Amino acid sequence: MIKYSKNFVIGIWSLIKGLAVTIKYCFRPAVTLQYPTQKRPMSDCYRGLVGLHPEKCIVCYQCVKMCPTACLAITHKLEDKKKTLETFKYNMELCCFCGLCEQVCPADAIVMTKIYEISVYDRKKLDINLLDDKKYDEWTHTTIK
Amino acid sequence: MDATQTKEMYTEEFLINMGPQHPSTHGVLSLELKLDGETIRNCTPHIGYLHRSMEKIAENRTFTQFIPFTDRLDYVASMNNNLGYVMAVEKLLNLEISERAKYIRVIIAELNRIASHLIATGTFAQDLGAFATPLFYCFREREKIVEIFDQICGNRLTYNYMRIGGVLADLSGEIIEKIKEFIEYMRPKVDDYDELITYNVIFLARSKHIGVLSKEMAINYSVTGPNLRGSGVKWDLRKDEPYLVYDKLEFDIPVGENGDAWDRYKVRIEEMRQSLRIIEQAIESLPQGEVTVRVGRILKPSASETYFRTENPRGELGFYIVGDGSVYPYRLKIRSPSFSNLAVLPELVKGIKVADIVCVLGSFDVLMGEIDR
Repeated sequence: MIKYSKNFVIGIWSLIKGLAVTIKYCFRPAVTLQYPTQKRPMSDCYRGLVGLHPEKCIVCYQCVKMCPTACLAITHKLEDKKKTLETFKYNMELCCFCGLCEQVCPADAIVMTKIYEISVYDRKKLDINLLDDKKYDEWTHTTIK
Repeated sequence: MDATQTKEMYTEEFLINMGPQHPSTHGVLSLELKLDGETIRNCTPHIGYLHRSMEKIAENRTFTQFIPFTDRLDYVASMNNNLGYVMAVEKLLNLEISERAKYIRVIIAELNRIASHLIATGTFAQDLGAFATPLFYCFREREKIVEIFDQICGNRLTYNYMRIGGVLADLSGEIIEKIKEFIEYMRPKVDDYDELITYNVIFLARSKHIGVLSKEMAINYSVTGPNLRGSGVKWDLRKDEPYLVYDKLEFDIPVGENGDAWDRYKVRIEEMRQSLRIIEQAIESLPQGEVTVRVGRILKPSASETYFRTENPRGELGFYIVGDGSVYPYRLKIRSPSFSNLAVLPELVKGIKVADIVCVLGSFDVLMGEIDR
């Protein structure tokens, strides 16, 4: 009986101690964000979808060679012994957002945008043509770097 | 019930499958439990549900290309995995990195250790019935660390921050201030956990003397990390085989006494305090200079082999790399701490009640991404 009542008292005391911590935070401002209505500002170097400045590209194939998941594919044509881009395909399904392509690009042509809400209903939309200006119109609600 | 009826009754062992879709198995672990009433007679863990063939993938990737894959091994402590891998490659290449990069690596690795232990603490409390509150408190603190990581490397989970020869980006003054603020913010929070969870009577009753791992058994099964230290073995690679600048920093190695679930938990809480101490010292003595050593774009180590191990939040993470003179490794073997830690689980749960297996598994803090690889 003594043991029982002792356990009872210790239990209540431990409960009060725990509640003191939770009550302390009850009166502090909330730290949560109501996501779809409130959005956290993205960091400067955020790695979202891959974007391209086609005019800067020198067709050196470094990004294709560096990509660990082989999600980028380039073809080129020769005009007056100068390489120019013909197609630049980006398979978003395979992309792991590691940022190695951006890091390795000598002309800063390939960049990581800040688009992160990237779900689509059609799987074909994940195969993106990076030379298309309207490629990311699907996700206009997020800002492009 | 008379005597004849009792004679006719018979009992048999009962087999249940716990997982792979079970909230308390921390991922896709499947446990085949043989029960005698509520007592566990045998336990067989089945792994492989998250197998992605990392070691084979490594043979077809260059050394730099494999860094993002190491993020996905132990995905709550990506920085530490990155660190272990790049240091193994640097050892293979005989590359010496700059002093500033070493300090930055220490700061980042210890921040990620805290983040990882926070998840371990929160989920362990959640497993034992402290529903949601401690878990959300832990995630609130982890959010601060993740924000810092987001600012330095651009991602919130798979960081890909460490590079062969240094780190991706330097720590700016603003981020250093943020880290200093975090240290001040975090110290009282750890004390809060002590009040809320550690010395709570219900928590003590659930976790004390449960799943006692003796010193001998821990060493025989090559258990590492906080689980080994919870059993009272003072073994920490940061002290015993110092890498980076850990030998210049002052910190203690917390050890447990009995090797039960509570001791393993307590070691993690103490390690958070020690990690804060390490970060504080490292920031104070952060030297100026370059953060990357220029290495060529194509890395071709000589035909040799190397093994390097680092202290991860879950234990010793080792990378064994065999180079054959080409740009790809000939073989890459990953010694993951959770795999060895899980091996001792069937020994510990024999004879305890089925409700306690969640406690033992939670205290081991295994992570399936690293076990299956």
